Amino acid sequence: MNDADDKTASLLASLWQRNIPLVEGRLALLDRAAAAIADGRLTEELREEASHTAHKLAGSLGMYGYDEGTRIAREIEVLLAGDGTPDAARLGTLVAELRRAVFPAA
Amino acid sequence: MRRILIIDDEEDIREVAALSLEATAGWEIVTASSGADGILAAGNSKPVPDAILMDVMMPEMDGPSTFRLMQQNPELAGIPVLLLTAKVQGVDQRRFAGLGVSGVLFKPFDPLTLADQICEKLDWKD
Repeated sequence: MNDADDKTASLLASLWQRNIPLVEGRLALLDRAAAAIADGRLTEELREEASHTAHKLAGSLGMYGYDEGTRIAREIEVLLAGDGTPDAARLGTLVAELRRAVFPAA
Repeated sequence: MRRILIIDDEEDIREVAALSLEATAGWEIVTASSGADGILAAGNSKPVPDAILMDVMMPEMDGPSTFRLMQQNPELAGIPVLLLTAKVQGVDQRRFAGLGVSGVLFKPFDPLTLADQICEKLDWKD
């Protein structure tokens, strides 16, 4: 890495710290969607919001070096975009995996 | 110094892209959070941006719609536009390429190589 790359990486780490609450909020929304599916009360609005949220996570986590997070978020997006009611257990598992991929020490 | 306009509704993407291009390439960055604001920012920028990096999925007016509107404005029509998308399906890539944009870049991008990717797509030698 040259000096510019070092500076970029350092600033990027700061931005990640600042955006952690945003990511946590997005994960919480996916939790809500999984719970709503399990309870049989998933609305189309919540499904769309969750799908859009997964899309945002897929498009952003890799910027911070969380490539596995992007992969799992993309899988969640596909699951939520499929026909029929998404599998609540599968979604719950994926969200838990995503959380571990992004916040391994939590 | 090159001037780049970044149009994306997600603040964290705008921030990381701007930081990346400023720090690694020394480019001047202008940002906008919607297609409508992006058109205004491009028109108000003197000189006009050397290139526009624009998200595909945005509420109200998406990237392709914004691009089409820009093409109707003679002042903006010549600015190279790169679309930024998290969609990886081939059908989407072909659809975007067919719009007449200068290229498509994919999210998540690597902040350390984003400037290089832009230079490669636009055949810039800097």
